[in-house]
Amino acid sequence: MAEPLTDTAGAAGGPAFRLRRSVGRRVVTVLTVLVHRALLLAVLLAVVFAAVELLPGDAATATAERGESAAGIAGRRALLGLDRPVAERFADWMAGLPTGDLGTSARGEPVAGLLARPFPDTLLLGGLALLVTFLASLALGGWAALRPGGRTDRAVSGGATAVLALPEFVVAVALVLVFAQWLEWLPAVTLAGGDGGPESWRMLVLPVVALAVPQIGWNTRIVRAALADEARAPHVEAAVLDGLPGHRVLLRHVLPGALPAIAAGLATSTGMLLGGAVVVETVFNHPGLGTVLAGAVSDRDGPVIAGVVAVAGAVVTGVLLLADLVRARASGGRP
Amino acid sequence: MELNRRQLLCTGGGIGAAALLTACGAGDTPSPGAAEGSPARPKRGGTLRVGALGRASAITRDPHGTQANESDYLILSLVYDTLTVPGAKPNTLPRLAASWTPSDDLRTWRLTLAEGARFHDGTPVTAEDVAFSLRRLRGTPSGASRLPGIRAGNIKADGRGTVVLVSDYANAELPLLLRLTTFVVRNGTKDGDIGKAPGTGPFRLEWFRGGNARLVRNDGWYGGEVPLDAVEVKIFESPQAMANALLGGQIDLASNVGAVAARTAGKRKDVRVVRRPNDLALPVVMRTAPGSPFADPRVREALRLAVDREAMVRQVLSGYGSVANDILGTGDPGYAKDVPQRVRDLARAGSLLKEAGFDLSRTYELVTTEDVPGLAETATLFATQVREAGVRIKVTKQESAAFWARTWLKGDLYTSYWGTNDSVVFFAGKVLVSESATNESGWKDPGFDAAYRTALATKDPAKRAESLRRVQRIQHDASGYLLWGMADGIDLAAAAVRGLPTLPGYGRVQLERAWLNR
Repeated sequence: MAEPLTDTAGAAGGPAFRLRRSVGRRVVTVLTVLVHRALLLAVLLAVVFAAVELLPGDAATATAERGESAAGIAGRRALLGLDRPVAERFADWMAGLPTGDLGTSARGEPVAGLLARPFPDTLLLGGLALLVTFLASLALGGWAALRPGGRTDRAVSGGATAVLALPEFVVAVALVLVFAQWLEWLPAVTLAGGDGGPESWRMLVLPVVALAVPQIGWNTRIVRAALADEARAPHVEAAVLDGLPGHRVLLRHVLPGALPAIAAGLATSTGMLLGGAVVVETVFNHPGLGTVLAGAVSDRDGPVIAGVVAVAGAVVTGVLLLADLVRARASGGRP
Repeated sequence: MELNRRQLLCTGGGIGAAALLTACGAGDTPSPGAAEGSPARPKRGGTLRVGALGRASAITRDPHGTQANESDYLILSLVYDTLTVPGAKPNTLPRLAASWTPSDDLRTWRLTLAEGARFHDGTPVTAEDVAFSLRRLRGTPSGASRLPGIRAGNIKADGRGTVVLVSDYANAELPLLLRLTTFVVRNGTKDGDIGKAPGTGPFRLEWFRGGNARLVRNDGWYGGEVPLDAVEVKIFESPQAMANALLGGQIDLASNVGAVAARTAGKRKDVRVVRRPNDLALPVVMRTAPGSPFADPRVREALRLAVDREAMVRQVLSGYGSVANDILGTGDPGYAKDVPQRVRDLARAGSLLKEAGFDLSRTYELVTTEDVPGLAETATLFATQVREAGVRIKVTKQESAAFWARTWLKGDLYTSYWGTNDSVVFFAGKVLVSESATNESGWKDPGFDAAYRTALATKDPAKRAESLRRVQRIQHDASGYLLWGMADGIDLAAAAVRGLPTLPGYGRVQLERAWLNR
């Protein structure tokens, strides 16, 4: 059914053909980028395996019970395959990856199962934080950009610089102190209910805010700078000279051009959000990947650590790709 | 109404008297059947929300697995029963094994199971179930250290209600070894079904997810009436988050939350600090084997004399602990209180070092790790204190796994910690007797070994007590340990929680008598 359509389009040499060709090119580009990113992820995973190997001790001793005999530990080492070269173990592990088999943890649990429960919780936390970051930084950056150099601009830009340097840990502890212990407005920690997720949505508020605050700082600066850049474009100047109101110029004329830079900024924040989640989850006892990762590192549990890196890497890769697509679309094929 | 002594003590109790406070109920009519420590008649009902420490990556459902998480152990010990349980005096009390009798040579032990014990699905517990569970436990990688001296082939059922264990050697303390992880599941339980295997314990598992669980009362429990309707166990990665949850009213009990939390929460009126003495030993281990700078007993004695134990308890444990006397097993009912307390004597320490020709120009390395609170602090303060005796010590902090792989059992000078502190014999067998696989200081003392063996092989209580005293005296004089103090186990509880355990170590999981005064 599709063939005649192509023929007609081809014969006509009309816009449909060009569109098809450009879609084809885009698919190829996306695939190339995906392959590149996948290779990068594979290299990263190899580094993770090597790094775990370099740490003192191994999973057999790290997860041993005190007083476990040397023979017992050696037996478990063999059971976990730790007596084989690291390259071989890595190759084995990678071979299972395409089928979703993430190997077995040092405690004998399938890694995929181990991550299946906390992963959605981390995604929820990170996703909400990303959303809050997006909305807040857009609002703040836009507000500041409305009157460059004004009081608001200086206050917002200054504030953004100050909070972007704050570690999530500090923000988290401060939030608990103020909102959970002094004001008693929100719960201090996340408790998981019978379904594995948080018992109440209120438990998500503080962790999301703690994660988002430093990223809001970072992204507000990007939004502000991107808007300022775009504001110097001729078409914006024309709109201003036409006497359009400020907010209209900002939304209709400045923002679309600034979007690629904003998307790129947000995409880089995804990695930071996932990284920060490790810390924030510990402070708030949020049942996510961070807690699994922290334990796995002290257990020298290579497959679990690599599994966390793989799923987090996949998410970051996906978001970066999305940002690339936004940029490609916004720039209309221009390089 | 007259104020009796107990009420007087209770009303005057500050933080320091918290352990005592747990013994003070709301009413003063002792119920005849009530367990020790809860004189008031327990109110029935309510859900106790308990926070316990654990890591998501280490969660296990296997009652015979490696239970690295306190949260897992708590859940398991409420759902399943061990054969015996820790007690205050004596330190071993019956549970699923109602009674036990040894043969004259103390090698063959016959355990009689509790009347009316049933699994949660209603089937009665048989000796075959118990034998199966013990064999399963013995078959785990650490089985040899969990059931020392009892080979799988020497675990047998005798009829429906008796289990016979034959030890490779005479062992007067065998029932004590059955307190930990001898959880009983049904005969033939497959490894794949172990998470769903019904237990016999005071609570039934309603759900378990990601280290959190809800348990409901087992109405037909053979061990007596259980006051609580339900227990919810919440897993916490960090003690800080657990303390925050308690202060915010999200949980009712923060189990083993530690001294730091107690210090901050102690000021609050609605929070009770429960101290469980003799919970954690934090000894400094000095290698005694030839080649070690501490091989000369006089050097070890000098270091033991150089520490200021009171200051250690005050600074390392924030006062939540007690001074110890270089004898491991301070919570043992047979602990030798008559051995004179070693106190600081820098002059004597100096002369001993001189006598031994100890090289004071060198700097010695003390290796520590941050596994438990107080460990690294012990090392730092110890180094400062012995400097006053002229010994220079540099503290090296190792990351946990590195410490266990490289330093433990090998180093000349390092910090260690142990949790089961209510048995002198347990420690003697675990870390002091020559042939122990975990002889931390490499100590070999024929006199001590002989005293230990006699203690294990003597049936007569008086003679046994005598050899136990010898075990402790030799240890006090010559071992490779410097045990300066014992940390309290510290739980935080909401004001309404009653009947909480005050035993050290694994005794903290005994929540079957806990109740809510609401």
